[in-house]
Amino acid sequence: MPVWQVALVLNFTLAVGLGLGYAGWGRRAEALDREFGAARAQVERLERERAACGPGARAGEQQWEGRGVVRATYPQLLVITHEEIRGLLPARTTSFRAASPTLRESIRIGDPIRFSLRGTVADDAAVVAVEQW
Amino acid sequence: MKGLLLGVFWAHLVSCVLLVGAFFVLLLASRPMATTARCWDRRLVRGSRLLVFVAMGSGVVWLLVRTAIFENRPQAALEPRAVSRAVLDTWPGLVWLARHGLLVVLAAFLAMRANVAERRNWIAARGEALALATLALALTSASSHAAAITSGTLWAVAVDVTHLVGTGLWVGGLVALALLLGAASREDGADARPYAVLAARRFSRAALIVMLLLMASGVLNAITQVESVAALAGTTHGRLLLAKLAVLVPILVLAAVNRTRILPALSAPSVPVGRATMRRLTAFVGLEAALALVLIVLAAAMTLTTPARHAEPAWPLPFRLSLDVLVDVPATRWRALLGGQLAVAGLVALIASCLVRRRRVPVLAGGLALVAIGAGVGIFPLVVDAYPTTYKRPLPTYQVASIASGMTIYREHCVGCHGATGAGGPLADLRAPPTSRRHAGEIFWLISRGIPERGMPDFGIRLGEAQRWDVINFIRALGAAEGARTLGSQVDRDRAWLAAPDFTVAVGPLAPGALRDHRGRRMVLLVLYTLPESRARMAELALSYDVLSVIGVEIIAVPIHASSEAIRELGSSPPVLFPVVTDGSGDIVTTYGMFAPGPHAEILIDRQGYIRAIWRGEGGGMPRASMVQAQVEKLNEEKSPPPFPDDHVH
Repeated sequence: MPVWQVALVLNFTLAVGLGLGYAGWGRRAEALDREFGAARAQVERLERERAACGPGARAGEQQWEGRGVVRATYPQLLVITHEEIRGLLPARTTSFRAASPTLRESIRIGDPIRFSLRGTVADDAAVVAVEQW
Repeated sequence: MKGLLLGVFWAHLVSCVLLVGAFFVLLLASRPMATTARCWDRRLVRGSRLLVFVAMGSGVVWLLVRTAIFENRPQAALEPRAVSRAVLDTWPGLVWLARHGLLVVLAAFLAMRANVAERRNWIAARGEALALATLALALTSASSHAAAITSGTLWAVAVDVTHLVGTGLWVGGLVALALLLGAASREDGADARPYAVLAARRFSRAALIVMLLLMASGVLNAITQVESVAALAGTTHGRLLLAKLAVLVPILVLAAVNRTRILPALSAPSVPVGRATMRRLTAFVGLEAALALVLIVLAAAMTLTTPARHAEPAWPLPFRLSLDVLVDVPATRWRALLGGQLAVAGLVALIASCLVRRRRVPVLAGGLALVAIGAGVGIFPLVVDAYPTTYKRPLPTYQVASIASGMTIYREHCVGCHGATGAGGPLADLRAPPTSRRHAGEIFWLISRGIPERGMPDFGIRLGEAQRWDVINFIRALGAAEGARTLGSQVDRDRAWLAAPDFTVAVGPLAPGALRDHRGRRMVLLVLYTLPESRARMAELALSYDVLSVIGVEIIAVPIHASSEAIRELGSSPPVLFPVVTDGSGDIVTTYGMFAPGPHAEILIDRQGYIRAIWRGEGGGMPRASMVQAQVEKLNEEKSPPPFPDDHVH
């Protein structure tokens, strides 16, 4: 085989090897990363749904746990400056619906609290339990 | 261990560079026909086979030494599991694998005893070897200092690849050319002399372009990796670069002599190729190649040294140049102007001396004299004292905890002589030039070593390093507070100069944030308040918070009298929803109280982190919300925001 043909075959092999390497390994690694992220989100969601299971729970309801400082209280609303609530909200000040008007009786403005939110989606999540942090 | 690492890395780099250069010159000179030249061709190919093995061998030793350093155990170099971890689990290891894979392919290709009698086969064989060797060399950049740049990585790596490949073409080419010229200048090599001269001429033309590329990429690399004159002169990496430049100068002189004197003498059509001239060219090219190999030692050492931008510079000279002198001492301006003019005239004369043929020496001498006189007249007034720590970077950032700590230390150790405001008695005013213009590192030196002739004791033993930096941060804050007197309630558009000291915002037990977290995103209205005096204003701010928030302002309230109950004390009607600092407010009040004392003050900080307006409560009361909004609108209309202020004083 003439050398110029050897050189061509060699370059072609290197290029194909690189392409196949990326296709078979690089893209697979990216896909695995995506799959892993999706599976982790699914597990977290299932854990929240399991936490929300109980008498009177609606289908697809989830429960989130948060920590924060009470900023204002109303019969139907609690305004809380909170840390990131994983799977729901970043750290910020948010007004949450109170599942029961009695919730505000155990807390005062400025109190550091742990709280539980329950709902099917972020918009209908309501505070169902509060305790001092 | 470092010496061994340098040695094997140099051997590896040189063998890769020689491989690239050998095949480059072969292709540049074209297929040889003369017996001596064909001998040279075969010799280069034989040598290349050896070089590939040297490259792979030194590469393996380099990997083993790196593994020992990586694992921090010398015996790890001989443990297959540790070596496999270093290769497969680290980015430099993967790059090593890819490069050595290419070298194995190159070795196999060179081992193939192919028939290259036909021209296209000869070109294919040499071209393929050049491509594989160049790829193996260029991939070094993927795990170099350039690849560690966080922003603009691709550009930095591309520049580094240009520099590396340029080095391969030039240095490796020089060695291959020196071997050809050596063979041709022997008594029995007369048949190869025309071919050698042709190769030298072609290489000279190509080397000029490669050298320009090397210089451009070298400058860009230096800008990225060194960043400043202080780092160039004050770090090992920077000094190695200076040494590289020092070795480059004689190389360029030799190249210029070869190009302008010897090659034309060999190339004249009427003159037969003389052996003596050929030997002179061989000696010059050989010397050039030897110096270039020294250059690679320095380049290898630079690769194994912390980049200058990450190293702490130790300024080597007892002086530095400062343009601030022109501002502080008006009398120096005319001297600088005169000196500059003389130097420019001298430069014009130097350029003219290169262009004119008659009276070149007097013009050259006159130009040099003018440049020297200009430098003497213009530069000497700009000379100020400097110390080894002049460009030292402060340990703590410019933040309120450090400033407050510095204030305590200052009151204990410095206030007796310098006064509470820093402008005590006959001593220099710490808030004003020239002290305020000094680098923080220079003040650090003076505090650490003292000024015995002026009676200032040294605090190097009495105070820890962090404490001395705290004092410097406080002195800088004193100057800033003095300057802040000119800031009022109106934003001066496009004039940001007063950096806001950073602080931590802790609301209850929540994870604290920092002022700098808002940079580039939101403006901050820092409110220092006292109850009950500020209650009405806090209620007004609570009501207008949603409007201010929409136009890009975050309010951060800090009680002047620290209280863990601060949120509750503000009451519930209207609800206060902006962050209220409940922990660590003391340092914020101490520091920002220097800028705006009083029971109530409001400080508007722009998105970049500069203080732009101050409302001081002791005078005409507090602004209405609409007044704050008007100033915020002015900031929103600014078209060219300034760069973020440095986190450290300098």
